[in-house]
Amino acid sequence: MSNVETTRAPFDPAVLYRALFLAAIAIFVLVPLLATGLGGFKSLGELRVNPFGLPRHWDWQNYADILFSKRYWQLLRNSLIISTLAVTLTLIVASMAAFTFAHVKFWGSSMLLSYLTLGLLFPAATAVLPLFIRVRDLGLLDTYFGVALPQVAFSLAMSVLLLRRFFRDIPYELLEAALVDGCSYIKFFRYVTLPLSRPILATVGTITFVNSWNAYLLPLVMLNTDELYPWPLGIMVYQGEYSSEWHLILAFITLTILPTIILFLLAQKHIVAGLTAGAVKG
Amino acid sequence: MARRIASSPSLGLVDAAATAPVAVRGPAWDSRYTVLILFLPPALLLFTLFVVLPIGEAAWYSAFNWNGFGKPTNWIGLDNYRFVLETRAFWLALRNNGLIIAVSLLIQLPLALTLALMLAERFRGAVALRMLFFLPYILAEIATGLIFSFVYDGDYGLVASIWRFFGAEAPHLLASTDTAMLAILIVIVWKYFGFHMMLFIAALQSLDKNLVEAARIDGATRSQVLRHIVVPLLYPTIRLSVFFAIIGSLQLFDLVMPLTRGGPADSSNTLVSFLYNNGISRMRVGYGSAVGVILFTICVTFAFTYKRWFMRDE
Amino acid sequence: MRLLRKLGLAATAWLLALGAASADTTVKWLHIEVNPAQVKIWEEVARAYEASHPGVKIEMQFLENEAYKAKLPTILQSKDRPHIIYSWAGGVLKAQVEAGVLEDITDSVKSGGYSDTIAPAALAAFTQNGRVFGLPVALSQVGFLYNKDLMAKGNVDAGKIKTWDDLLGAVKTLKAAGVTPIVVGGADKWPLHFYWTHLAVRVGGKPAFDAALKGENGGFAGETFQKSGELFKQLVDLQPFQNGFLGFKNPQAVGYFGDGKAAMILAISSFYHTQRALAADKVGLSDDKLGWFDFPVVPGGKGEPSDTLGGITGWLITKGAPKEATDFLKFFISKDVQARLASGNFIVPVVKGGEAGLNSAFMKRIADNLSKSNYHQNFYDQSLGPSVGRVVNDVSAEIAGGSMNPQDAAKAIEAAWKQGN
Repeated sequence: MSNVETTRAPFDPAVLYRALFLAAIAIFVLVPLLATGLGGFKSLGELRVNPFGLPRHWDWQNYADILFSKRYWQLLRNSLIISTLAVTLTLIVASMAAFTFAHVKFWGSSMLLSYLTLGLLFPAATAVLPLFIRVRDLGLLDTYFGVALPQVAFSLAMSVLLLRRFFRDIPYELLEAALVDGCSYIKFFRYVTLPLSRPILATVGTITFVNSWNAYLLPLVMLNTDELYPWPLGIMVYQGEYSSEWHLILAFITLTILPTIILFLLAQKHIVAGLTAGAVKG
Repeated sequence: MARRIASSPSLGLVDAAATAPVAVRGPAWDSRYTVLILFLPPALLLFTLFVVLPIGEAAWYSAFNWNGFGKPTNWIGLDNYRFVLETRAFWLALRNNGLIIAVSLLIQLPLALTLALMLAERFRGAVALRMLFFLPYILAEIATGLIFSFVYDGDYGLVASIWRFFGAEAPHLLASTDTAMLAILIVIVWKYFGFHMMLFIAALQSLDKNLVEAARIDGATRSQVLRHIVVPLLYPTIRLSVFFAIIGSLQLFDLVMPLTRGGPADSSNTLVSFLYNNGISRMRVGYGSAVGVILFTICVTFAFTYKRWFMRDE
Repeated sequence: MRLLRKLGLAATAWLLALGAASADTTVKWLHIEVNPAQVKIWEEVARAYEASHPGVKIEMQFLENEAYKAKLPTILQSKDRPHIIYSWAGGVLKAQVEAGVLEDITDSVKSGGYSDTIAPAALAAFTQNGRVFGLPVALSQVGFLYNKDLMAKGNVDAGKIKTWDDLLGAVKTLKAAGVTPIVVGGADKWPLHFYWTHLAVRVGGKPAFDAALKGENGGFAGETFQKSGELFKQLVDLQPFQNGFLGFKNPQAVGYFGDGKAAMILAISSFYHTQRALAADKVGLSDDKLGWFDFPVVPGGKGEPSDTLGGITGWLITKGAPKEATDFLKFFISKDVQARLASGNFIVPVVKGGEAGLNSAFMKRIADNLSKSNYHQNFYDQSLGPSVGRVVNDVSAEIAGGSMNPQDAAKAIEAAWKQGN
């Protein structure tokens, strides 16, 4: 990663300083990550004397034990279920609302939109106790929906705004022509708006997915049974159990963040665009 | 906030955003009605049920001494707010949120801007570095916290090995009231600078290149261009970045839990971890709701003030 | 999109399948025990019960101690809550009873003379207003466990530590000899509250605690409690704890002691055995290297030297649990099982005749101490109820961290007590 020297002007000191600076930051970012991944290959004894170097003996046992454990896959499956529920529901509910706000004129439209926008202003944590009581009263405590539904609700504001902005860019003539031909709004939504909006749906889906996949507070409050725990909860329990056996914990961390990193490497452009666009346009 | 960044999807069609929503009468009327009935209520219902009502309820519950079982009956008026304000740990948490904001503005933001200016240019490795710097942002805060609790570990971590190298007994940074918050601040910069950098890069790439070119032709030096043209053009993005830093600080929780759980002796709580430790995990619904209402007030007041004062033109 | 939809459907179907899976009666038993040797015996007892009661399944669930305390209020509100839960009795139990989340098992316990087999004081701890909500399983005492080798290395005679000043002297001597005097799990806070509260037991005795509950003599802000904080601060000022003690969780701290890295630990008597499971080598310190002395007395204190601080722990039946849960619990807390657990030195039994199983000198000594004690103070963080108890833990950690003085600490507890709940 230190390979940042440019091809031109090799003796310009500014370029050298820049390269050194970038290399320093790259090391700052990389070292904790590499140490985590490598730490999983070490024994506890070696970790103590050699926390950051390459392992002297590559010990695959820590990783293998976790990969063959039911626990690891159960955590990932739970996270996947919750995130998928959240993404699916967000996309359906938000795109329907956004379509209405974008294309249907009705009294109170802008008022209702501002109402939804309120959701941008404060984090879920502010109302987490009443939220807990509500989820409990709905009988959703300790269920996937008890986590996913509040997540959807809190992601709606941003999602609706992003989608509406995009939907409104779909040419008016298209809709007009469709309506004249007797096509209904719903069919237009289904067969024109949604197919044309794949990029923005992907963006909204990415944001919702990453937020839900990484979420900790809501599952922590809503879930009690460890069979339902998503991975951020599971990894905290794991750490509590193995307190100082860092080689196991590091292997476990590595394996749980691996899906995120792989996904990121595969779809980095979309993810970066999605997350920053979500922020900028929200 | 109209800045459309580079990746923004485009249909390649004429911008029709200004077009008024359709109001065709006749055959479409029925389906328009159906859309309103079918499409809007799910969103409004979910939002009302899980976002708006809980905030209202927080205000209501905060007037009770209630452990969450049964119905709230023990009305104590504003006492919960007094109890919160009398709690030393609350003020510590507030101070810590202030510290996070200060570090975000004074260290993280300049760092992100500097890196963005370097990496917005094209050279070999620039894209790879951008991705590397962005990577911490997509990692879960829980995982980040755990990774750094290893880095800081007094027996096994990086810090310990550096100290041992110099023959001294390693400090347990996370276990001292003096250093725990400092350690968390470093993690915050590690995790979030890449996101802010990406915001700036996106903005830089959509800058009008002609302005810069023109200035260079007019003989302006690199730093003059930077100071008088590029940075002013970035002001909207800087304001945005500041906005996110502050809102982010007010929400910070996941990162604190694996590192210190707000300790030692409450020295590294944020408002949300304070809310968790003193409200939720003790099931003091009234007290916790009061903290929630205070946090809500801070967030909303900040958002409105900030929008009015700093983002008027957008 | 289509993939997502399929996944969503699959998830829903799977959820539905989960709900329909229970055919026989399953008793869900949530525990926090980390010692595998003890859990193994429990499992054997559960399997034995299943064998003699066809159609009943005992399902054991585990939560780590701190996670359990933090999650318990929400666990109890879930409709899927476990049927048998761990308890330290005290004010926390009282709050749970008032909240109506526990099952009244008085009739079942009284039937057939079962309740007569249990030590009355222990059963009383699980009784509120004459109704029984759970059964005690074990007693414990807080005192100092020490490592004989390290004490010898520092030339300290643990047998001579009788007063608080003796303890301070021993700490100084050990430090001078380069031995870490005391290890404590400061991050969990409650291991630190043992110091402050045991000092209060010594300084004020039972009268002071009772008076404070009634708000007399300045309540918890009164002289006894300020004095306790000051004495605790004398110890803290000597920096007796391991490096980074405020970042250690209790299991880490007990493991640290088991690894032979510190001379003493203010321990619950059960740590005598858990240190083995928590030590890095899973072996820990053997019997001949372990010693115990009771918490030192404070000259001029009103407490009796025989007064003890410790736990009365047991199991509660939650509201709506099947009657098999209570039945199993009675099976579990019976003379035979208690004697078996006692012979493994896991518990000081509460069932009459169970103490016959005790075979280690250490456990016999603890049992003897407890039987001689006229005032057994339950852990403050449990007996004062969920939120005040936590404040006691908070301020103990603050005194230990040097961020609060003893006077303010006592005032903070009194303020929390007045806020109630």
